[in-house]
Amino acid sequence: MSAPTEEKKTVVLTTSDNADLTVEREVAERSILIKNLLEDLGGDNAEAIPIPNVNEAVMKKVLEWCEHHRKDPPASQDDDSDSRKKSTDIDEWDQKFMQVDQEMLFEIILAANYLDIKALLDVGCKTVANMIKGKSPDEIRKTFNIQNDFTPEEEDQIRRENEWAEDR
Amino acid sequence: MASTMPPVPAKDDVKATWAYLEAGVDKIMTDLRGGMDMKTYMGLYTAIHNFCTAQKAVAGTSFTSHNNRGGAHLLGEDLYQHLIEYLRTHLKGVQARSKEHVDEALLTFYIKEWNRYTTAGQYNNHLFRYLNRHWVKREMDEGKKNIYDIYTLHLVRWKEDMFAGTQESVMRSVLKLVEKQRNGETIEQSHIKSVVDSFVSLGLDEADSSKSTLDVYKQYFEKPFLAATAQYYDNESKQFLAENSVVEYMKKAEARLDEEKDRVPLYLLNDIMSPLMRTCEQALITNHSLALREEFQSLLDHDKQEDLGRMYKLLARIPEGLDPLRTRFETHVRKAGLSAVDKISGEGDNVEPKVYVDALLEVHTQYQDLVNRAFNGESEFVRSLDNACREFVNRNKICKSGSNKSPELLAKYTDTLLKKSSAKMNEEDNMEKLLTQVMTVFKYIEDKDVFQKFYSRMLAKRLVQTTSASDDAETTMISKLKEACGFEYTNKLQRMFQDIQISKDLNANYKEFLDKNLDPEDVKTNIDATYNILGAGFWPLNPPSTPFTPPQQIVQTYERFVRFYNNKHQGRKLSWLWHLSKGEIKANYCKVQGQKASPTFQVSTYQMAILLLFNDSDTVAYDEIAEATKLGKETLDPYLGVFMKAKILTAEPEGAKPESGTSYKLNMNFKAKKIKMNLNISIKGEQKQEAEDTHKTIEEDRKLLMQSAIVRIMKSRKKMKHQQLVSETIQQIKNRFMPRVPDIKKCIDILLEKEYLERLEGDELGYLA
Repeated sequence: MSAPTEEKKTVVLTTSDNADLTVEREVAERSILIKNLLEDLGGDNAEAIPIPNVNEAVMKKVLEWCEHHRKDPPASQDDDSDSRKKSTDIDEWDQKFMQVDQEMLFEIILAANYLDIKALLDVGCKTVANMIKGKSPDEIRKTFNIQNDFTPEEEDQIRRENEWAEDR
Repeated sequence: MASTMPPVPAKDDVKATWAYLEAGVDKIMTDLRGGMDMKTYMGLYTAIHNFCTAQKAVAGTSFTSHNNRGGAHLLGEDLYQHLIEYLRTHLKGVQARSKEHVDEALLTFYIKEWNRYTTAGQYNNHLFRYLNRHWVKREMDEGKKNIYDIYTLHLVRWKEDMFAGTQESVMRSVLKLVEKQRNGETIEQSHIKSVVDSFVSLGLDEADSSKSTLDVYKQYFEKPFLAATAQYYDNESKQFLAENSVVEYMKKAEARLDEEKDRVPLYLLNDIMSPLMRTCEQALITNHSLALREEFQSLLDHDKQEDLGRMYKLLARIPEGLDPLRTRFETHVRKAGLSAVDKISGEGDNVEPKVYVDALLEVHTQYQDLVNRAFNGESEFVRSLDNACREFVNRNKICKSGSNKSPELLAKYTDTLLKKSSAKMNEEDNMEKLLTQVMTVFKYIEDKDVFQKFYSRMLAKRLVQTTSASDDAETTMISKLKEACGFEYTNKLQRMFQDIQISKDLNANYKEFLDKNLDPEDVKTNIDATYNILGAGFWPLNPPSTPFTPPQQIVQTYERFVRFYNNKHQGRKLSWLWHLSKGEIKANYCKVQGQKASPTFQVSTYQMAILLLFNDSDTVAYDEIAEATKLGKETLDPYLGVFMKAKILTAEPEGAKPESGTSYKLNMNFKAKKIKMNLNISIKGEQKQEAEDTHKTIEEDRKLLMQSAIVRIMKSRKKMKHQQLVSETIQQIKNRFMPRVPDIKKCIDILLEKEYLERLEGDELGYLA
């Protein structure tokens, strides 16, 4: 939909903490939410787009990712192929990009979900999945700072129920 | 604008969230033109997002600390149900207002509301995207019925709450509009197009809501549309036919069919083309096919090609529409052919071959032209034409006197084409055309063997008498026959042709031989002569019917040739066909009128023998002539007659019959008018005799042909039922002639007698090797 003219159109995004970020429209449109909005309302007026659920720090991070992936082919409508679901492979750049503290990681995931950026959401979730992979429940609890609220009986039962999923 | 919105709700408050959303949705639904700002847009989206991601109000804990085990419960159903309620209410209002309109105004209203509603639906689909992505997706993945994405939900609601109550009156208006157009008025076509599009959009696939079907369109649009079309043309065609001729009606129907065809791309779905055409064809053609066919005969009688073409095109559109026409056409052509023959046979039994063939061709040409122009050269009509032609070529008035008449006359006609005299008038390409015409008739001849007989006799005559116009034309004709009937059919014809070519070379060799070896003494007595050596098996020539002693003057000459030939080809027997030989003699005793030169007589060898007798004496007695030539009376007498008629000889006593006692005197006062005089006229009765002979041999040959066919079949099958053998024999022979079953049975009997075949049990026949 974006016009083929060389002149790059920009939009202004106003974050939850009232920072105005100017960004190329093509980059912003990695977010389906923003893309639909611009299509529906016509993005030609200079009105800033309020993003009430994302703060400046997270938005900048998200836009960095969008910038890098601006030329990616748009995800097809129902890209639920097994490869997307199963693979935990993450390309190098994205891996580096995701080397942030846990708090930020979860913020990015939430923002991707809100802004409707499927690929970013996938990368975020895969990163979390990789953090869990190969860890024992206790290690996982440690990693994510989770309190164990199971009774020993409950724990025992769950282990028995999930025996089939053990590595051996 | 944004100021009209309620306050942004708390994320876990269903009531407040919906109140906020409803205000937004209502604005989109009823006042999108008024515009929407980014803040409201984002506010609505965010409200839905926040509501769906909020923990249940009862849980009351913060989002990040705990996850419900399995995460199975997704929020959103409340919003979805509220939206349904909203849409219902909205559409109820729309439907109520639609009642205030009829006809075109109703269409305008429907289309306007539809457009507004679907645009709003797309908006809402975007705003509720978070709901679509999570709650709706989960519900659908779990196989819940009647849950759709938000846009589809809009369509479903329209179909149930709006369409169901209005489609009938909408359709009524559409049909009224179409009827107006059919009546020649100008209408707003885009209205109908929009209605069609709307109906198509409502066709949701129950199994997969992302796909659409044409079900709704078919039931609520196509069906009534076709019914109205049928009704309209039923009425119109009946009324038109009552007031106009069939010819006029055909024009009308043709125009109407074109018009309907053109209508489809204007505002209908291409899908309707074939059912619409079928409906129109039923009303305009099938229902009146009887009336149309009634007119066919009269159009044929008046040769109305254009109208016939129109009728063909119309009836070709309906199943089995043309069959009755073909039958009538066949009958008509047959009658035309028969009456054409009747007309010319009125002039006496002896029809000129050319007149006859021309009459046949004229009928064929006329109707072939009709088939090509009016009936599109359609193969079924070609077959009807062929059937009719076969009938009138083989079974017409002239054929009654003898079923072999058609092939005989055709062969004779071909002979006149290929003979020298007439050929001069025919240019070469014209010749090709004429021969092609001959083949046209030939194709229909059933007794092809009869044609073969006559043709080969006439070819033999042309070759022997060197009256053939051109070798090229002869070769062309033979190859045409070969193409039509195969190698076997023309084998003998080709051999005859070859014999003549070989003889030409032989004569040249002989001439060289003579130049080298002849004594001066011999040169004086030698007569310049050419010889044709004809293979006995291939030529349809009879041996001489009379004894004959050739005149002394030529004996030496031809005996010299016999020696030469026997030397070259040992063991071959030469027999002389004197009755086909001819020569020239010079009458030194008289002069051509007004010139000094003496005339030359072109004569047959028989005539030569007679005339040469007058070298020794001016008067010769009948008995002397008979004795010297040994010619039989039935040959001698007519020849004498020819000389008397030409006033070369006179009888003594005057007027005496050719018999013992009569003498013949050379007319010394003979006045020749030309330098060359042809006296070699074939004598009366000879031709008739020949035709009779030919017919007789045909019967004989047919018996042989049938017998050999039977033997061939039995040789390969060994055993066969009688009935089967008969039909197989017919199959094999019918491209030569149509054999009669009793004749075949007779032939089988003959073969049983000759012990080629034997009777076995149960009506079976066996082959005896």
